[in-house]
Amino acid sequence: MKYVDEYRDGELGGALKARVEKLMDGGRHYKIMEVCGGHTHTIYRYGIADLLPSNVELVHGPGCPVCVIPMGRVDDGIAIAARDGVIFTCFGDMMRVPGGHGTLLEAKAAGADVRMVYSPLDALRIARENPQREVVFYAIGFETTAPSTALTLMRAKAEAVSNFSVFCNHVTIVPPLRALLESPDLRLDGFIGPGHVSTVVGARPFEFIPRQYGKPVVISGFEPLDVLQSVVMILEQLKDGRCDVENQYSRVVPYDGNRQALRVLSEVFALRPHFEWRGLGFISQSGLRIADAYADLDAERRFEVPGVRVADPKACQCGEVLKGVIKPWECKVFGTACTPEHPIGTCMVSSEGACAAYYNFGRFSREKVAV
Amino acid sequence: MWDQCADGHCVTCADEGVPMRLVRVLDPGLAECEAGGGSCHQVLTGLIEDARVGDVLLVHAGTALTRLDSPFEEAP
Repeated sequence: MKYVDEYRDGELGGALKARVEKLMDGGRHYKIMEVCGGHTHTIYRYGIADLLPSNVELVHGPGCPVCVIPMGRVDDGIAIAARDGVIFTCFGDMMRVPGGHGTLLEAKAAGADVRMVYSPLDALRIARENPQREVVFYAIGFETTAPSTALTLMRAKAEAVSNFSVFCNHVTIVPPLRALLESPDLRLDGFIGPGHVSTVVGARPFEFIPRQYGKPVVISGFEPLDVLQSVVMILEQLKDGRCDVENQYSRVVPYDGNRQALRVLSEVFALRPHFEWRGLGFISQSGLRIADAYADLDAERRFEVPGVRVADPKACQCGEVLKGVIKPWECKVFGTACTPEHPIGTCMVSSEGACAAYYNFGRFSREKVAV
Repeated sequence: MWDQCADGHCVTCADEGVPMRLVRVLDPGLAECEAGGGSCHQVLTGLIEDARVGDVLLVHAGTALTRLDSPFEEAP
């Protein structure tokens, strides 16, 4: 398939690997963060970390939407789901995220009507089919999924579907990156920028990273050679003493994003003053709420939610993993008490969470190296 | 329930987009689209200017984010 086969070509991969080795500056240790969970998944699935020289370290960032949902917001969702007459809808991964009072899957087992959907549009269809029930969609995700929720809310409003509402947990990517860059325990040489988030917001919002923090950013696609080429582009910038935002994924990402998507987002959502991120704490202006014009479709205004902040389990080190301070396997409970089947932390839930990706694709090779 | 995670990816996750071909416009802003394996999905197309039958769209969580050149052809 075009855009797939050529980005998985072994010979090209070998050439890129040789280029990486050529760009190495003596004994320097390079630390590059991939912001997006999709890249984390690609890196582990295709063994890119093993292909790179040992002094090029890939650090996993906070770009998995499931991984950053705090436990209190899961409990809020469960509280809504447990109400009589409610059909609670969410993406599949969200059902297994542990809150302080269990998971949505456990709430379903206890009798709540919790249903998995592929898109918010599916949730709206369920609302149309069940006019006597309240249908709530648990919205999560960055600027990639937020337009989907926004368009669905616009459709619900236009069609006057009064039994539909959204519990909004959408977040934006720039504030956590800024928070990470301000973090004193972080040392990074560059960023592999998010691909499909940039389809919506463009590459321009990332310009503050080279300008204010002096780090290169390369917006990257998701095939293995996309990621390898992005590493080469970052290393080239470092070797040249440059730092810019470059777009490796130009076959999909326009530099200025999708203007219509940005218009839709600004109509349907407003910024929250602050929002809690799992492991990262409260970050100013990083979360979206439903704008007043769509208040009737806001589940937080329609239903009372506990709104209690729940501390992460003490053993869980998701926060340090999300900040790239430790590798997944350095967490005390990785692969023992915390597994994809029984996750303690959110990074082990989603297939794009750093811990789950590493558990599924990399843990045996590490054991081999350790032996 | 994890059938959706075919090819190791889940629709939930941050940056997973699926190329689909638009096969029928259902109403302004809504279309039926076909994924590579032949499965059909209703997709919101409100973000794509003048979406037409035959367009190949990058679809994320039921919404087309951008128009692509056709990735369904064989690689040269």
